[in-house]
Amino acid sequence: MNIQEYIESGIIETYVLGLASPSESAEFERLCTQYPELVAARRKFEEGLEKHASTHAVQPPVGVKVKVLEAIGDTATGDTPQNVSLNPPKIVTMQNESKKGSSGWLRFVAAASVILLIGLAWFSYQFYNENSELQRSNTALRDKLSSSDSTLHKILDETVKNPNTTVVNMVGTKVAPKSSANIYWDSANSNVYLVVKNMPKLPNDKQYQLWAIIDGKSSPKDLGVFDATDDKVILKMNNTQKAQAFAITIEKKGGNPTPTLDSMQAMGKTLQTQ
Amino acid sequence: MGIPTTYNTEQELVLALKRRDNQAFSTLYDNYAGALYSIIKQIVTDNAELASDVLQEVFINIYRKIDTYDQTKGRLFTWMLNIARNASIDMLRSKGYQNSQKNQELPDNVYKSTGNQSIQLNVDNIGLKKVLEKLKPEHRILVELAYFKGFTHEEIAEMMSIPLGTVKTRIRNALLQLREYLQ
Repeated sequence: MNIQEYIESGIIETYVLGLASPSESAEFERLCTQYPELVAARRKFEEGLEKHASTHAVQPPVGVKVKVLEAIGDTATGDTPQNVSLNPPKIVTMQNESKKGSSGWLRFVAAASVILLIGLAWFSYQFYNENSELQRSNTALRDKLSSSDSTLHKILDETVKNPNTTVVNMVGTKVAPKSSANIYWDSANSNVYLVVKNMPKLPNDKQYQLWAIIDGKSSPKDLGVFDATDDKVILKMNNTQKAQAFAITIEKKGGNPTPTLDSMQAMGKTLQTQ
Repeated sequence: MGIPTTYNTEQELVLALKRRDNQAFSTLYDNYAGALYSIIKQIVTDNAELASDVLQEVFINIYRKIDTYDQTKGRLFTWMLNIARNASIDMLRSKGYQNSQKNQELPDNVYKSTGNQSIQLNVDNIGLKKVLEKLKPEHRILVELAYFKGFTHEEIAEMMSIPLGTVKTRIRNALLQLREYLQ
């Protein structure tokens, strides 16, 4: 490979600015481990970019930093021990001179009450600790629940509850009868979400790729790659405005520009007509 | 450049951040918030409130994800810049932002209806967008769509009715020119 030509091809800028495709990025990162001159050129562009961005910095509103530090402070110092103020057990000095005869009994009562006080203090301290511990974990759980809840609602709003969403049930082909996945496709804003229900694990150099089959177009549209391990999650795939059907094929890692149709694993038709 | 005096190298700063050192994080904010905010404002235009929401989210994400930062793949700023760009584009596509833009035409329609002539974009003459101004219009529009609007090369090809190969070549050429300007 002519590395100088590669350096001059614009790939460095494409990669650094986050515009490279997954396969271009993978190739670039691999070549960086082989060619120090490529790394040096990347560095130079990165430094130029950083310098440019710093000289054109725009002062953000002052409140933002406080909010950020508060947000991270909560996670960082959430377990600061609180000061427990315990009233030290009061020592009652007995008046010895009062009644000599009963001083043995009094001493016993005094000792017992001191022990009782210390015991009570110890118990209340334990309960207090336990209580604050429970409160802390309760708050943490509540926060976690509300954040999961809002994520779930966001996903539901965008997919299942959205009246524009079409659910396409993809069933396995003869090659892979057990494979199945669902597509949630919003025809209004073209968003495509994929839920992997059952897709067999692939060798490391292979990935599944999703396609939209569009009438009147010779080749299906690439909607992105995914792995079988993405099981039970909702994946946001590339958008498509049109699709008469969705299909899943097995391709090399990073995907192919056109599908290898004899490796088709699953397919599902939409109700959309041209 | 950008590195605070208390951290002699970027590596030292990164190590402190990975230890969740709040002081290091505060320094990071002071040094980079302005640069990142500038990029966010160039993507989330016309709504300063949402732009500062994005900035807040970006720094919280930087704090949470610092362990995934890999120095062999690029500088810390590059990593943070990409987090900022992705968060901004997510905001652009969110319902909240689109509602706030209701009275304006959708970008889709703008590009389609005006063709290649006098494309109207919300170019605030700041930062990278200013550099874009120096590019040829047919190059500028592609970088604008890809970098600042987050469209894929395929979407751009479809939108502008140009072959995919041409889109890729033009974007690469435009970015090469960008490099010249940044030097």
